[in-house]
Formats: sequence, C-alpha cells, structure tokens
Amino acid sequence: MSDADPRDLPFPSFAPHPDRDSAPWWSALDAGAFRLQRCGDCGTLRWPPRALCNRCRSFESGWEDVARSGRVASWIRTHQVFAPEAREKVPYVVVQVALDAQADLLLIGGWLTEREPAVGEAVVLEIVDGGHGHALPCWRPRASD
Amino acid sequence: MPDVEGAALRDRVAIAGIGATELSKDSGVTTLTLACRAILAACADAGLPPEELDGIATFRVGDSVLPAILAQTLGLRDLHYYVDQFGGGSVSHSIIGQAALAVHAGLAKHVVCYRALNARSEFRMGGIGRPLVDAVETQYQAPFGYFTPPQQFAMAARAHMARYGTTEAQLGQVAVTQRTHAVENPRARMRAPITLDDYYASRPVVLPFRLLDCCLETDGAVAVLVTSAERARDLAKTPVLVSGAAWGSGHTLYSNEQPDTTRTAAADMAPRLWSMAGLGPHDVDVAQLYDCFTYSVIVQLEDYGFCTKGEGGPFVESGATALGGAIPVNTHGGFLSEGYVHGMNHVYEAVSQLRHEAGARQVAGAEVALSTAQPGYVSGNCSALVLRRDA
Repeated sequence: MSDADPRDLPFPSFAPHPDRDSAPWWSALDAGAFRLQRCGDCGTLRWPPRALCNRCRSFESGWEDVARSGRVASWIRTHQVFAPEAREKVPYVVVQVALDAQADLLLIGGWLTEREPAVGEAVVLEIVDGGHGHALPCWRPRASD
Repeated sequence: MPDVEGAALRDRVAIAGIGATELSKDSGVTTLTLACRAILAACADAGLPPEELDGIATFRVGDSVLPAILAQTLGLRDLHYYVDQFGGGSVSHSIIGQAALAVHAGLAKHVVCYRALNARSEFRMGGIGRPLVDAVETQYQAPFGYFTPPQQFAMAARAHMARYGTTEAQLGQVAVTQRTHAVENPRARMRAPITLDDYYASRPVVLPFRLLDCCLETDGAVAVLVTSAERARDLAKTPVLVSGAAWGSGHTLYSNEQPDTTRTAAADMAPRLWSMAGLGPHDVDVAQLYDCFTYSVIVQLEDYGFCTKGEGGPFVESGATALGGAIPVNTHGGFLSEGYVHGMNHVYEAVSQLRHEAGARQVAGAEVALSTAQPGYVSGNCSALVLRRDA
C-alpha cells in the first residue's frame, strides 16, 4: 500500500462494510494484494465477490492475483456535495475501469491524477489507504504524465 | 395467440381512476396523508366508493408509510391483495402489472397502486439525510464518494457519449423540450421556458450532468386504480386498458457478462412487452419515459425501439419527441419539470392523454401510450406498461 496520507485523497472516502462474500477481497487489498475469485470449474473471474459463478453456477472458487491494469470504461466528476464529508473534496473524479484480467468486469475506483481521464485510456492500479481502516483500489494513467 | 407471453392478459384489465396531490418542495404533511389524498382522489375520479377497494400496492425504499397503516387509516379491513415492494423507480410499473394479474385471476376486484414520498423535505435520494442502502452493492461504490443516482447515471451517460457521439446539446435538448411541455401543465413545478443557453449555464452537479439534467426532488403522491376492463366500463371515466405489462430483466453496472453500460435492461424487456401488447413502437402516440436524468430518455428511445441504437441524441435534437413531433415524450414535463413521483406521475399523464384530458398539451387522438420505469442501472430491475384507450 502507498504511504500517502489519507487526508490527501482526492475524493471523500466512506468505509466499506464488507460482508461474508467480500471479506477476502477487502482483506487482500488491505495487505496490498489485488486478488479476484476465479471459478474452480469454468475458470471465469468473478466480480463482485460471490459464492456462486454466474456462468456455470459452480460454488467452487479460489482467490488469485490478477493484472493490476485496465481501461477507463467511463468516468464522472462530482461537483455537488452529497454528504458533509465531501465538502472539502469537490469536485472529484470517479472512474469505472474494465479490467485487463477480464474485460467484462467493471470496477468503480478513485482517480489519483489531476488531469481528467479519457474513456478507453489505459490505467494502472494503485492501492491506497482509505483512512478508515480499509485500502482502496484507485487508478492512474498507465504512462506517467 | 396462445404462444405469446402474457397475451392472455392483454386488454383484460384497465386503469379506471387516477389521483394526484399537489407536487411541492415541502408538503408539510406525512407520506400517510399524501397517500390518502391521492388514493381518495383516484377513487373519486373513477366514481368508486373507497370501501370497494380490496387491494393495495406500493413500492418504497424505506422512505414512505407502511401500506398496512394506510389500509387501516382508509378503513380497509379485508384486503384480498397486498404488495409492499422494495425498490425504487425501476419497480414503479411492475406493481401495476402485478395488480393486473391479481385482478385478472380474480383475487381482487379493485387494487389501488400508489407512491407517496416527501423526497425533497424529508428523505432525499441525493444522499443527505439518507442512510446508505446496501441492496445495491454500496460497499464497492461509497468508498470513492460514489453512491447517488446522478453519479450512477452520469457514468452510463459518459460511456454513451464516448461510444455514440451523444452530445451535451442533445442532453440539454431533452430538458428544453420537456420544459416546453410543462409550460402547458398546471401541475408542473417548473413552468418557465428554458433555452439551451440556460442549460449550459446551470451549475454542474455530476458532470456530464448539470442541474437541468436532473429531476426535481419532490414531495407528492400519485395513485392509480386497477380493475377489470369489464368493471371499468361501468365506472365514471373512459377505461385505459393494460395492453402490455412487463417487468424483470436484471443487469446492473456490475453485471459480469454484460459490461456494455450504454444498453439498459429495457432492451432485453421491450420485445416481450411489445409482443404481449400486439403493438410496436410505431403504434405509440405518446410516451412517458422515466427521466430521472435527461440521459435516461435518450437511452430508452433506443432501447424501446423508437430509433436505432446510438441515435437517441439526434432523434431528440430532430424535434421528434416534442409535442407535434413523431412521438411526443413526457408531455407533462416529466420528472425534470413536472416533479418526481418515482414513475407514477408518468402513468398519470399517460392515462390523462389516452382519456383526452390533457388540455393544451393533448396529443390529438392519442390511442396508445408507453409508460416506463427506471431502466435498471441501479437495481437491475425494469418495468413498463403499454396502455390503450378503450374503444
């Protein structure tokens, strides 16, 4: 995990509430790992974490490290203060990233670079401290600016 | 038509009455009171004594009165049918479809479907004053300050703009067109005409959405009375038949195997909706499309088949969706200008149009209407009705 000060995060962060399916995902991130479930039968990567594969309905799965890269599927810039904690952070960008590991998996994440993202651009993962006890998957342009 | 899904229900059930409260920023009353006002108005409209109600249905997200309390308040002691559906706008039309099934099966005679909310003064969808609902994968969104409908829809809108070249001017034209309609609607909260310049000048909310891309958080209630077509013909108003009703589907912003967020669950559902009704988009005289944001109108024009995929923006820009155009859309002004009653005010307007009671905004000779629910980005659900004026 980067040792950035969570107060410097460019977006307002709220603690996730992991459930029994997602706890391994969050604890892997907290340990600096980017890990997804792979179906033990058909090999499909699974997102979000679930007990069952939605392709072959298998309950078998294992967690494995996957590529820390993807492409921007979309992005937004939030100007409105939707919660008091966001007051000091607006405007901020949130990206939706299609993972290189399996392009039909879309993750919402933070954007760590000042310039705006572009739909389709290549991005790399950076796991940051959310300041609330959980690490968060965030993204930067693949080629440094 | 024994092989057509749902065709046994086609035109067998009707909407016999509609009722609405004033739409405002602060109703000053409880959602219980709002619901009672709308329901009694729907009964009065139909000429049905309220004690004849034997079914009640609503949907809510923990933001409105429990319908059991409402039944008690209305003095309804022996309900034969009852639905308290969890969910937002995406299920707004499914409760009417379900009521039609119950009526057709003979489980109940008169089912009132309603939505009552103080969505501006008490429980805003935009986050402030609202606890996070964990039914929609919040844990993967909230950590990034992403948890409200404008954010979720803006994300899909940007993808559509990148893929199909949809423009800000086309989003803005949805707002301008609907405001033009609202000028003629006494119920509408916003009736002053706007221009594209006003649109561009409105403050950014979640870019690509500006303030004028967003619906009006509203206090209000709407009720719709569902009964058999046969009984409806003995009541006060021209029956509006439920020709098609569909609900279901289910892909969200997270659906593995369906990563194309520019296509909604409505695209999966629309073919069976049209075939159940025995009608198609070209038969529709007026459409009320769920417009939580401008973009949702554009994508539904495509996904319900009014234009080809990716052409929703140019379609709106051509004037086709304005009154006098090929398919007038949101003739009441929609959520953007009339107010936000979570889908039910779209049904109200569709029924008004088919009864030819829409005054200066009446679509001449309207016989068939489409009314739709939220197309599934947040919850994955979707629902819609094809309605027809009784011959």
